[in-house]
Amino acid sequence: MRARLLTVGRAIAFVALALVLCGAIFEAAGFSAPDMFSAIIDGAFLSDGALVHDLRWACPLFVSATGVVIAFRCGYFNVGTQGQFYLGGIGAAVAVAALRGVPDVLVMVAAIILGIVFGALWAFWPGWLRIRSGTDEVITTLMGNFIAGLLLVWVTSGPLKDPSGSGQVTASRPVPIGVRISTDTGVSPIIIGLTVAVGVLVWVLVNRTAFGVLGGLAGRNPVMVTWQGARLSRLGLGAFMLSGGTAGLAGAMEVLGPDGRLVSGFSPAHGFTAVLIALVANLSVSGSVIVALFFGGLASASLYLPVIAGLPSAAIDMVNAAIALFITSRAWPTRLPWLRARR
Amino acid sequence: MGATDPGARVEAGALACDGLTIRFGDFTALADVTLSLAPNRIHAVCGQNGAGKTSFARACAGLIAPAAGRITIGGKTLAAGHVAAARAAGVELVHQSFALPPSFTIAEAMEFGLTGRMGALYTRGGLQKRWASHLQALGVEAKPSARIRDLPVETQQAVEIARALAGQARILILDEPTAVLAPGAAEALFARLRRLRDSGVTILIILHKIREVLAVADTVTVLRGGRLVEGPEEASGVTADRLARSIIGAAPAAIARQDEDLGALVGAALPHGTRQGHAAPAKMVAAVAGVSTRAGADGQSLAGVDLTVGAGEILGIAGVEGNGQRPLVEALAGLVPLAGGSVSLDGSDVTGLSLAERRRRGLRIIPFERNTEGLSLSSPLWENFAARELLGRSALSLIDPGALRREAEAAFKTWDVRFGSVDNPARSLSGGNAQKVILAREIDAEARLIVLAQPTRGLDLGATAFVWHAMREARGRGLGLILISSDLDELFDISDRVVVLQGGRVAGRFAPPYDLAAVGAAMVGGSH
Repeated sequence: MRARLLTVGRAIAFVALALVLCGAIFEAAGFSAPDMFSAIIDGAFLSDGALVHDLRWACPLFVSATGVVIAFRCGYFNVGTQGQFYLGGIGAAVAVAALRGVPDVLVMVAAIILGIVFGALWAFWPGWLRIRSGTDEVITTLMGNFIAGLLLVWVTSGPLKDPSGSGQVTASRPVPIGVRISTDTGVSPIIIGLTVAVGVLVWVLVNRTAFGVLGGLAGRNPVMVTWQGARLSRLGLGAFMLSGGTAGLAGAMEVLGPDGRLVSGFSPAHGFTAVLIALVANLSVSGSVIVALFFGGLASASLYLPVIAGLPSAAIDMVNAAIALFITSRAWPTRLPWLRARR
Repeated sequence: MGATDPGARVEAGALACDGLTIRFGDFTALADVTLSLAPNRIHAVCGQNGAGKTSFARACAGLIAPAAGRITIGGKTLAAGHVAAARAAGVELVHQSFALPPSFTIAEAMEFGLTGRMGALYTRGGLQKRWASHLQALGVEAKPSARIRDLPVETQQAVEIARALAGQARILILDEPTAVLAPGAAEALFARLRRLRDSGVTILIILHKIREVLAVADTVTVLRGGRLVEGPEEASGVTADRLARSIIGAAPAAIARQDEDLGALVGAALPHGTRQGHAAPAKMVAAVAGVSTRAGADGQSLAGVDLTVGAGEILGIAGVEGNGQRPLVEALAGLVPLAGGSVSLDGSDVTGLSLAERRRRGLRIIPFERNTEGLSLSSPLWENFAARELLGRSALSLIDPGALRREAEAAFKTWDVRFGSVDNPARSLSGGNAQKVILAREIDAEARLIVLAQPTRGLDLGATAFVWHAMREARGRGLGLILISSDLDELFDISDRVVVLQGGRVAGRFAPPYDLAAVGAAMVGGSH
């Protein structure tokens, strides 16, 4: 328990350090740091409807972050969350487009499932390459993000193109109202329910199953579990696909929920932020809940800043990046000691 | 650095050390070694693996700072643990595995290899011209423009030696240089070393083959268990038999040791197993028939190995390290594909089965490397303990971490593990306690065959006795045990039979009372 408090305290300290760094940069750029921060806090948590906006961003981020937790705990650096998230969105849009004349509820369920499956498949090939031939998954999953991004451009401007679209942003036809899982606010019982369900399931998986314990051991010392008779290939592929599946679900949630259609290049910072959430939470599922709410707040503040406060939204990117900088410099050597040996 | 011509090594210096002690954590690699090596001679240092030879060499080359004692080169004390200081004093080490960049040409390797000359512009031709004569003088028959990776291993070694002599080396240390060579190439190396000696270089060569020691050395020094056994003695006065004896160590004390003594040492935590005169076991637990493997990354393989282990029997595997012990354990575990032969457990063939399936049938393994293969040091103790059991379940089965923690706690108490909390990482335990955690995990009620690979290495006397006790107790319960050890005292003391592995083959089978000379001869491969 004390050790856990210590890690939480350390995470907070690093976030604080990152904010100090940002403050210095704000000042240097000619903004008042206190004004900037108060505007961010305002936009993230205090203004009207801020908490709803938080949840709108926090829910999909949390869902993806749980997948990152699974993969990273098992020692696989699946940083392809963004790509798997896009594939999930594509999967959902494909299901919606393909199932015309089918009852809305069934389309909804099919779209969610296809999103999960597409996300999982987009994590399958880097996982397979990693396990069969040791191909570095950081490279493959990262490259996969770009391929997925281009695939999304093609899908939205080709097969799923909305012919009545404006031409400024390519997108699919709108998802029928009955199939949507939320309105444009992005907060609905279905979305909250899905998020809570994923949180509970992943928590159980990580903390209360043989897979969780063995995956944790394998992440820290794959040699040891091999001598215990574990098949790393199975464990690893499982971790990759579960991780991709959650990201795919998050993508489907975006398309069926707040976005209401598949838009080219939607939520471009989603994957990066999800990885960040998992790392700040020290790969803990329960910790990710709080951290996801925090980053959800930052995401909603980035929309608030330019509109209400007339400040640049890039400030949020900077806060994110600074936190990433401090958290990764902290997390990699301690949490993942084998990394040094492997690279 | 104009010392490329041998004449510049005016004064060959002797190397001496006084009370040299090297420790790695709790482990003492070298204990209080005092010796002096005369100049212009070839000095062999020999001993089994773990005897402290490599540590000694590395300390002399300034790669390791000794915990105590000092090293003097040509009468001057060497600043401990500084490679540059050792190099300035004229000491160069040729590593066991070569350190030359494979993509370099010979000339580039000579120029930049380890001399640290940076920044100056150069031309290929210039470099090649500069080093051609040096290489020729040392009898290296390869073009300076050839790439290191394209050279045969003996030429690589010759270049490595030439590189070491590029500076002002007066003392050349070679760490098991013959390990990588074909038998014929070793003789060429020795001829090269003799020529160097005649030109004024003092050579310290680490070897573990007796035949080679007698072939090349002027003096012989023997280390065993980090201590100086004898030497430096004139090689002319040493026989192969005597050398084998002092390398391996006599075992009379061990034979006299009784279970009662061990019980006193361990504190009688477990009921004693009984040692009777060994009768043929009633039932086979495991059989290895004609097993061959392809050479692994470490070059080891098995060639047609036949072994059987009966219920209530401890089979000892002796052999100089690197003679097939690791592939044997991997073959038993099913972690390496077999090129031929079969493995059976309890009478049923398990050759095609995974380790998980073999474990389900009672195979237990205490692997060579306690801290990497045996335990995950950064994971909690209870996870380390639970791993074996959890692998027997399906991946998605629910667990109760509280119950697993309590199980681990109870087992650790039975096995007398000194631990703080089962949530502490395995790293928090000492070597002996860490080994007890592994024993507690691997010696359970369902175990049938236990493979122990160097289970007492690096352990103190108390922990060693505990491991032996656990083995005897397991034998008493009718389990089959395979003990792989490089400590003949240990093997002779506890094994019901001993099999010697040499070059991946069974080189001898022995029953008590063991004939040390015969076992030693089988181990070193016909030096008699």
